[in-house]
Formats: sequence, C-alpha cells, structure tokens
Amino acid sequence: MAGIKELRLRITSVGNIKQITRAMEMVATTKLRRFQDRATSSRPYAEEITALVGRLAAMLGEGVEDRPLFRAGKGEKTLALVVTSDRGLCGAYNSNLLKMIEAWRADLGRPVDYLVYGRKGFGYMNKRDFEIKSYLQEPPLEQIDYRSAALVGRILVEDFLSGEYRDVVLITTRFQSMVKYVPQIVPFLPIRGETLADGGGEAQSKSLEGGVILEPDAESIFERLLPRYLETRVFNALLEALASEYASRRFAMKNATDAATDMQNALRGVYNRKRQETITKELLDIVGGAEAIQ
Amino acid sequence: MPDTFTLRVITPESIAVDTAASSVRFPGLDGLMGVLPHHAPMVAALDAGALTWTEGGVEKEMFVSGGFAEVRGDTVRVVTEASEPASAIDVERARRAAERARERLRRRGRGGQGPGEKVEEIDLLRAQAALRRALQRLKVAEHKR
Repeated sequence: MAGIKELRLRITSVGNIKQITRAMEMVATTKLRRFQDRATSSRPYAEEITALVGRLAAMLGEGVEDRPLFRAGKGEKTLALVVTSDRGLCGAYNSNLLKMIEAWRADLGRPVDYLVYGRKGFGYMNKRDFEIKSYLQEPPLEQIDYRSAALVGRILVEDFLSGEYRDVVLITTRFQSMVKYVPQIVPFLPIRGETLADGGGEAQSKSLEGGVILEPDAESIFERLLPRYLETRVFNALLEALASEYASRRFAMKNATDAATDMQNALRGVYNRKRQETITKELLDIVGGAEAIQ
Repeated sequence: MPDTFTLRVITPESIAVDTAASSVRFPGLDGLMGVLPHHAPMVAALDAGALTWTEGGVEKEMFVSGGFAEVRGDTVRVVTEASEPASAIDVERARRAAERARERLRRRGRGGQGPGEKVEEIDLLRAQAALRRALQRLKVAEHKR
C-alpha cells in the first residue's frame, strides 16, 4: 500500500489529467458544432444539385446509363478513398473504420488501391500490405473547403475514367447523431441510376416534364452537372467524417474525465482512511505514553 | 405593381442571397440572360460572370463562378460553387490569378502541341477557365466603383 505522500501525489496528477481531458472535451464540442453547422449549410446546395441531376437524368431517359460515368470501368481494381483522423485520442473512431476495411477487402477478392486522408489511417495502412496510391495531406482535413474537396473528387473521377479501375468507393464515417457514427463503404462510381432517382423526388421530376426551357440543352447541362454532383458527395462525406471524428473524440474525452473523477474519489477515500489511521495511531501513542507516566 | 419573385443564391458554404427581386440577369453559357417575374420554367448552365438583380428598385451585383440557374414557379435558384458580392472581391488576388493563368497559357503556346497529350489538354482548359474567372471577377469589382 502506497504511503500518504504518494497518495497525495497521485490525486494531484489524476486531477491534472482530468483538467486536460476536460479541456479537450470542450474543444471537441465546439469543433463538432462548427463542422455540424457547415454540414448543415452545405445541405441546400447538395439537395439542389442532386435534385437537378435526378430530374435531368429522368428527362434524358435511357441514354443516361451509357455514359462512361455510369458504367463499370474496364479495369480489375477498385479505388477507395479512406478518411481517417490526423490526431488520436478519439476513441475507436479510426480503429472501427480500419477494422471494417480489413474485413471488406478480405472478401472483396479484387486488388484495391487506396487514397488516404488522415495521418492515423496512413500510419496503419502503410505498415501493412495496403496499396496506397497517394496520401492526401494538403490541405489538412480540418481546413477542408468545398474547393479542395472538389479537387479530391476530380482526382477520383479522372482515375476512374482512365479505365484502370472497375469502381470507386468512399470509406468514411457517416454522422448519424451526436452519439451514433458508423463507418461505411459507399459506392461512388460508377453512378447508379437508382441513387439519382431517389434524389430527384417524384413531384419534382413531374414538374420538369412539360416544356421546361433548357439553356443551352439537356445534354450540356447534364454534362456540367455530373462533376458538381460528385464533388458535392465528396465534400459531404468529408464534413460528415470530421463531425464524426469530433463527436467520437468528445465522447472519449468525456469518458476519460468521468473515469478520472471516479479515480480521484476512490483515491481520496483511501487517502482519508490512511490519514485517519495515522492520527489514531499517534493519539494512541500519546495516550499510552501519558498512562505509562501515571 | 411590386411584382417580384424569390431569388436564392445557393453555394456549398451557405445561402448567399435570399431575397425578393423584380428582375435578374445571369451569365448563361451563350451570353447574358434575363429573367422577369412569371418566367417559364427553365434550367440554365452558367458561365463565370456577373449576376445582377433588382431588389426594391436598387440594382445589385455579385460574382458567380459558373453553376446553374433554375426557374421554377416563382423562385429563381442560382446554384454556384462560389459567389462574392462586388465589395468582397479581392482585386489583388484576382489579378494575380489572371497573371498566373496567362503565364501558363503563354508557356503552353511556346511549347507547341504535344501529340495526344490528354493531361496537357486538361491543363489548358483549366488555365483558360481560371483566366476567365479571374477576369470576370475583376470586371464585377470594377463595376462597383
């Protein structure tokens, strides 16, 4: 059993750690809010673009499915964009995602090339037999804006169109709520007709039927719309991943703070008991001494 | 007759404009297009350029970097990657961007046509687009003064 002095030291150091985890929790909370806000304010744009794509696809009809972006590539491989965090201390955020990747590629039966965002994922995959095509670090994930997300999207599209790959998937964590974030593998390319139909909504596709003016024409609008649509999807996936990361970190730090509080209480209990014991012992000594004199 | 429609400029970062306008002009791919209230439904692809609208008798202008405009019912939605009010345009930055793009085009001009170089072709298109965006930004910024 540790001495009184050691106990006191431990109580202080647990207290110090608690202060740090609490501060980190608060930082994570504000950042989480920021990314959530950004995700929310990007939603109207995404919805508008998706709706437009859906409606134009409906207008163009069957021909849509023959475009290169809608057909599986000639290649054998799959290209995956993996989004992890740059920093640790965020609970099981990264390990959940990486575990899922391991399981996924084990039964995919095709070689996969990876584009990796986030230092943690890169560190893990680089040590193992993952084929990392490139490690994205500019700009850092946290400073992502639409323009750089669009650039990532463009890389994916260009690689896909080069014919080297059969398909492209996004492996990111979807943000469902403050306490629920699940890693997911979402097909990105080729674009599947069904996903577009969902976005369009029935009422809206109807309104496009009768005599809408298209300037210059459906074909060229659609041609310009598709890249925007794909970029938006990447942007959203990145923002959601960031929100999940911070939600996860906040949760982990909250747990750490709570655990520190529990530990502090337990230690304080032991400490007090010890102190009491010493005092009692000293008292007994004094009383014993006084009695001996009498 | 204060006949107006809703004009909404939507970007990935925010809804930049949400107002009642009585007319709007935007840079279509084949030239400037104007929309007045009760316009027929329309979808148009946009080039980089100035978006101008009248709001309560006052003319307002902003730069849009391409995108799409959609007229549906009594709402005009402009969906664009980036938009800036004339006052927020960084003239110096736009000028530098224009210069960079020009320089890239010049180098490319000297280098001659690489046979079937797809990558270079894309670069060329990008440089041209960048130059156009920069020049349009400057134009919008200068109008203001």
